[in-house]
Amino acid sequence: MLSDVTESERDSVAQQGISRRKFLGLCPVALASVATVGQSSTAVVDDKSRQLAKEHGNDPALLVDLTKCVGCGACVDACKKKNALEVRADQPASGPNAVLASSNWTVVESHNVGEEVSPVKRQCMHCLEPACASVCFVKALVKTEAGPVTYDPNKCIGCRFCLMACPFGIPTFDWDATLGQVSKCNMCVDRTSQGLPTACAEACPSGALTFGHRVDLLAEAHSRMTADPGKYVDHVYGESEVGGTSVLYISDVPFEKLGFVSLGKEPLPEYTWRITRWIPPVAMGLGAALVALYARRMKVLEEEGEILRAGREGL
Amino acid sequence: MTSAVAARAARRVHAEPAKRAWIFRMTWPRAYLLSFVAIGAFAAAYRLLFGLGAATNLSDRWPWGIWVWWDVMTGVALAGGGYSMALMVNFLGREKWKSLERAAFLTSLIGYLLVVGGLFLDLGRWTNVWRVPLFWTGNPHSVMFELVWCVSGYTFIQIVEFGHIFVERVKAPRLSALLHKIYAPVLIVGVILPFLHQSALGSLYVIAKGRLDPLWWSMLLPVFFLMSSFFIGPAMVTAEGFLSARFRGHRPPVKVLGQMVRLSGALMMVYFALKVFDLASRGVMGNLFDGSIRSLLFLAEIGLGILLPAFLFLNPRTRRSPRYLVIGATMAVVGLALNRGNVVFAGMAAAAHGATYLPSLMEVAVTIGLVAAGILVYAFVVDNFPIIPEGQSETPASAQAVTRSRPYTVFVPKPRIRSEDPPPPGS
Repeated sequence: MLSDVTESERDSVAQQGISRRKFLGLCPVALASVATVGQSSTAVVDDKSRQLAKEHGNDPALLVDLTKCVGCGACVDACKKKNALEVRADQPASGPNAVLASSNWTVVESHNVGEEVSPVKRQCMHCLEPACASVCFVKALVKTEAGPVTYDPNKCIGCRFCLMACPFGIPTFDWDATLGQVSKCNMCVDRTSQGLPTACAEACPSGALTFGHRVDLLAEAHSRMTADPGKYVDHVYGESEVGGTSVLYISDVPFEKLGFVSLGKEPLPEYTWRITRWIPPVAMGLGAALVALYARRMKVLEEEGEILRAGREGL
Repeated sequence: MTSAVAARAARRVHAEPAKRAWIFRMTWPRAYLLSFVAIGAFAAAYRLLFGLGAATNLSDRWPWGIWVWWDVMTGVALAGGGYSMALMVNFLGREKWKSLERAAFLTSLIGYLLVVGGLFLDLGRWTNVWRVPLFWTGNPHSVMFELVWCVSGYTFIQIVEFGHIFVERVKAPRLSALLHKIYAPVLIVGVILPFLHQSALGSLYVIAKGRLDPLWWSMLLPVFFLMSSFFIGPAMVTAEGFLSARFRGHRPPVKVLGQMVRLSGALMMVYFALKVFDLASRGVMGNLFDGSIRSLLFLAEIGLGILLPAFLFLNPRTRRSPRYLVIGATMAVVGLALNRGNVVFAGMAAAAHGATYLPSLMEVAVTIGLVAAGILVYAFVVDNFPIIPEGQSETPASAQAVTRSRPYTVFVPKPRIRSEDPPPPGS
């Protein structure tokens, strides 16, 4: 008799378990709809990029006019000298095998487009909202107030999440050192903070590199494009890519033929933020639910225990 | 022979805990494992002293490799049995699974200790690791911040939880009282933190939009990672239950395991539906059938790692058969490792612009050494603490008679006993 009561109590616990399991199954569905609904509309994205452009209009910036670049490599030499970087045979800084690396903060790649060889200078794009800095949890990589994205090796723990996150594949790691550093262009932050142009811009003999405020360089890029219709591809690379960058490119060859990746307008950190902003409410909601469930379980166990005790005494 | 073992076990049960000697039986498999640990330790030391480039095949194109895939991504997920069991037993009324909670929990604790070790070895500037605890200097917007804090917090929580088992053997009244007092909050935090960091492992790759292949990149990555870490829990407990039963000469509790994997099967179907919905809503369903290697890997991950085990777990007949139970659990574990590998390797291959990555011998040695160390620690703890229940109705009657008085018994069979075991399950 008494043990029957206990059994039925147990069954009720089991039945509750089943309904909870259904609930458990519904949780991810709810999360899914939240994540899907959480996509930003184009209007919101446009607003965001206008706001970013306004905020960073006076940031130091670089305009690269690829039609004027002759591929001489003077920018590369100036960068190496300015930042005391080695010349390494296994890390060519110009030509078809040029590769950004620990000793190359900027390179001049050569791309074969039809019969011609097009040189393309590459370095950190200095995003208005950089993915690398957003993922760096020790704040070794930061977007400075002034604009350039800088790196502090004393803070870096070397997790290399920045290498994973950068949509342009810019940061590199010094694999040969026991305690390697992340390396990338810092836009000559010591010079540019005093209003001086970057070392590469100063060294450029062909006028391919122009240093100035971002808003002015955007105007300059568009005026060059309207002054000579048909010469340029109708796109300023970096004007809106991932929310905008401080390095801007104009070109007579379509960008995708020169190894530029095609990117959306939305800053990449926004995607992460749409998820991480749910952490506090989810953690608190989950905590509250667990406290309630635990209290209920304790009550059930206690009742069960009392029934058992009563049963023993009765016998 | 069985009665001799039972007598030995009986002596053990009645002996005072303080008088019991600490046991570490040296067997050939354990000797091999120890040598793997030694090789791994050497490789780890070499890596710390001479750098990542000297020890690994990582490069700027492949900044994350086998350590991130296995030691971190797969390791944390496979250790998910700890929190999923804790949730089911202590909060959702699955009292009947309580007997398996400790084994799941021990795997989880060891798994996390290995993850923390693996994560540390992967840090290129490990001498700066002391900065990590200075959370006020950190960047809370980084997923890595959430990950590191929740993983280390949960590892600590699990060590506290293990204290309850520890004080059963090592008498420490004050510690015992303290542990009893903080039991409930520790249990609750011990479920919240895994929810956060299991999903965070998926969120890591959300920023790789445009680099991670659209078959895997999704805003739902955190949900997929969380769900799979949850449903892999019972599968892992099952696989481990069978392995440990084999080595320790008792029968695995097929009935309870069957109940548990049923939950996994149900969640796997929800996961599958969500995957289909996700691919369809992003319009990349067509990529599945383009015949590329990554599409095949994706299909393998879903077909062999989700649908097959889900079928075996949901079908009552296969669920009650030890053989199919083991097949299902193994496939689920392999499928999970494949899924994480697809995200870390196959999905990122295009972003590597043709550069290839094959782990170096040192990388493999470190990974094998960590796993070997985990197995040895598991074996040691199981030998010395009441982890695996031996008094279940499915164990031989003689052992049952001895252990009826206690829910858990330290039971040390001689290796020879296996020849006289009841026939292996499934035959």
